[in-house]
Amino acid sequence: MAWLSFTTAVFPPDAHGQFAAVARVRWRLFVNSLRTSRGRLELFSRIIIGLAFALGGLGGAFGLGAAAWDLVSEGSVEWLGLLLWGVFLFWQLFPLMSTAFTENLDSSNLLRFPLSYRSYFLIRLAYGSFDPATALGSLWLLGIMLGIGIADPDLFFWAALVLLTFAICNMLLARMIFVWIERWLAQRRTREILGILFFVLLISFQLIGPLTNRYGEKPRPGVMHVARELSPAQRVLPPGLAAEAIAQAVRHQFSPGLGFFVLLCVYGLAILWLLNLRLRAQYHGENLGEAPGRAGSRKAGQGYRVGWNVLGLPGPIAAVFEKELRYLSRSGPMFFTLIMPVFALLILRLGPAGSGRSGSFLVHAPNLAFPMGAVYALLLLTNLVYNNFGADGFGLQLFFASPVTFRKIVLGKNLAHMAVLALETVLVWLAVCVMYRPPSIDITLATLAGILFAAPANLAAGNLFSICSPKKVDYGTFGRQRASHTTVLASLGIQIGIVGLSALVLLISRLYGSFWLAAPIFLGLAALTLGGYVLVLNRVNRMALSRRETLITELGCA
Amino acid sequence: MDAPAIATEGLTRRFGELVAVEEVNLRVAAGQFFGFLGPNGAGKSTTIRMLTGLLAPTAGRIQILGLDLIAKPVEVKRQIGVVPEGMALFGRLTGSEYLNFVGRMYGLDRETAAKRTAELLEFMQLADEPKKLVTDYSHGMQKKLALAAAVIHGPKILFLDEPFEGVDAVASGTLKAMLQRMIARGATIFLTSHVLEIVERLCSHVAIIHRGRLVAQGSLEELRAGVEAQAAAVLPAAAMADGPAPFPGEKLTLEQIFLRTVGGARVADQELSWLG
Repeated sequence: MAWLSFTTAVFPPDAHGQFAAVARVRWRLFVNSLRTSRGRLELFSRIIIGLAFALGGLGGAFGLGAAAWDLVSEGSVEWLGLLLWGVFLFWQLFPLMSTAFTENLDSSNLLRFPLSYRSYFLIRLAYGSFDPATALGSLWLLGIMLGIGIADPDLFFWAALVLLTFAICNMLLARMIFVWIERWLAQRRTREILGILFFVLLISFQLIGPLTNRYGEKPRPGVMHVARELSPAQRVLPPGLAAEAIAQAVRHQFSPGLGFFVLLCVYGLAILWLLNLRLRAQYHGENLGEAPGRAGSRKAGQGYRVGWNVLGLPGPIAAVFEKELRYLSRSGPMFFTLIMPVFALLILRLGPAGSGRSGSFLVHAPNLAFPMGAVYALLLLTNLVYNNFGADGFGLQLFFASPVTFRKIVLGKNLAHMAVLALETVLVWLAVCVMYRPPSIDITLATLAGILFAAPANLAAGNLFSICSPKKVDYGTFGRQRASHTTVLASLGIQIGIVGLSALVLLISRLYGSFWLAAPIFLGLAALTLGGYVLVLNRVNRMALSRRETLITELGCA
Repeated sequence: MDAPAIATEGLTRRFGELVAVEEVNLRVAAGQFFGFLGPNGAGKSTTIRMLTGLLAPTAGRIQILGLDLIAKPVEVKRQIGVVPEGMALFGRLTGSEYLNFVGRMYGLDRETAAKRTAELLEFMQLADEPKKLVTDYSHGMQKKLALAAAVIHGPKILFLDEPFEGVDAVASGTLKAMLQRMIARGATIFLTSHVLEIVERLCSHVAIIHRGRLVAQGSLEELRAGVEAQAAAVLPAAAMADGPAPFPGEKLTLEQIFLRTVGGARVADQELSWLG
């Protein structure tokens, strides 16, 4: 009842009905999706993925809870920050690095209804928070809270209050990052600024080499030392503040503890304000389209521009190739996804784990950086490859209406995606050279041969799933590039198989004492996967025609 | 005798239990401007999707320019142009890129595709904002672009699903001018529309589909004669219920023919009283 009167005071009278309507429509959409076998398969995949996440959530909660219990029991509460930083980084970085699992609502669907801003804000927040990062982060914080409560029952309610506030900060911050990145990536100018900033950051790593060499001559500081050095800085950020608020209470210093808690609340309010800025703009119908003004644009329309001539490819294949690359080049979010491998290498190099003696293993085994970066690039590309037609929408009808076989259309798309992969591999190689050291020739060749083996396997599977389990995606908005859960699950299985096989090849090479062996083995496997790819490609036309209704309905839906 | 531009035989499409199109036998001669009419849900879009290869029929045959669509889909598609429901546009391309792309998909070389793209954009008055993405176009602009894409390869038959829906008078004039030019040059146009006045003005022949079945087909005069003969055979009051009768000596309009063929409109004066 108290909740009801609170919500009545905060939200307009018709808000309850609107929330209920949104919840009901989501429920009906879910129930209706079960009418088809594809929908039921999707539910099954969702359950399997959910179970995997639940396992990770519960395992993490247990581990973090035990660690928190141990730290409080042993009086080492200053290390609580480490646990909260772990949760914080996962909560904020996972949604960015794996947009396949993240849902972001298309606000235009809501704006046509007479929804108050508060209701809109709440719905946006609720929608965005139904993601694995929030679920896992909340579970882990629950584990930490229970661990602290068991170690010192008097602290339970204080820890619960602090961790709840910390969880709310995380939830708001994740949403805030998403909406602001979406804003920056929506327009070319801001996108370019973001890109330049990123590359400046990347180039600044050239300075790290000399610095690392200087450090190398002296005894390296241990993790403890580095953590102590970083401690004052991390204490003014939300995870540090939350940890300090609890640690001070453990030491019975309630006033400083309260001070840290208040600062955490201030952070929360600041994040809320920034989130509010964006959502309010969206609520008022902000349009981030890139349409140029009318004046002065006429001149550019004079004359005509011919399409690309791609290495003598037949016209339709070259046209599809060009169209795909144009689409990708105009998608800021997709661009962001595709630079993630370089970003991940940067984080591993930049993070605290990358600077200590027992820091990031890539610092100690830089030869692994290139294969890992390349594998990550391939994994991210599966976002595109496993849902080839996702961004085509109603445009897909053109493919069915035109006198071109789906074999050619799919080939054009696959070639475009391979061009992106090739570019990404080169970027990763350069980034590894700058941030770590140039990978050895045998490792470089083995990695390239490994890609030649893994790429056709993924393309073949991707082509099948693109036709059997398509899902409409929007390249123009951040976090709305999700493939279907069935595809995600299948892709996960395929990647596990590929990585397992690759690990076996590397193990054999290691047993024989030479990584030069890996490249020919991978090339042999590549011949097999290439054969599989051609086999699938030759059947794509028949498959697409037999499933044209499902494809058009699924991809044309609003 | 020349083969008809479009001919179907027993064309049927079922969606589970629902029979959307049943035993439709169409015959459209080359050079005709053919209007395909029917109430909402009658089966118009399903039929046009089957005729253009976007949907497989459950039964029946489709011949386009004498070629079997099922057996020779690529050859048929080379000779037809389509503006389907939803328009088949790629939102994140510019108009020029889109037309270039479509041209090359229909086998035009790069130069020809680019030249025709420039001409079509100019004709459709879409050349003013060359950098604008299709997704930022107004609905009318998108319709014009979709029509430009459908004709870029110079098709012999053009299928249009609701081409005038949501289009303003200026854009509508441009579209009509282009369609009439195509007819004058011997092309065949098959269009569905709810705007009966436009169909009446443009089309020489009409077919009406109702609940999946073809209930009338022929020239406007043939249809008019058929409806008048039918009306004379039943009580005048029953005929009046399906639309006002024309004044003596006045011809039945297409709207009157349509209403009498598919059934009357509902009078709402006693219902929906809450509408005020």
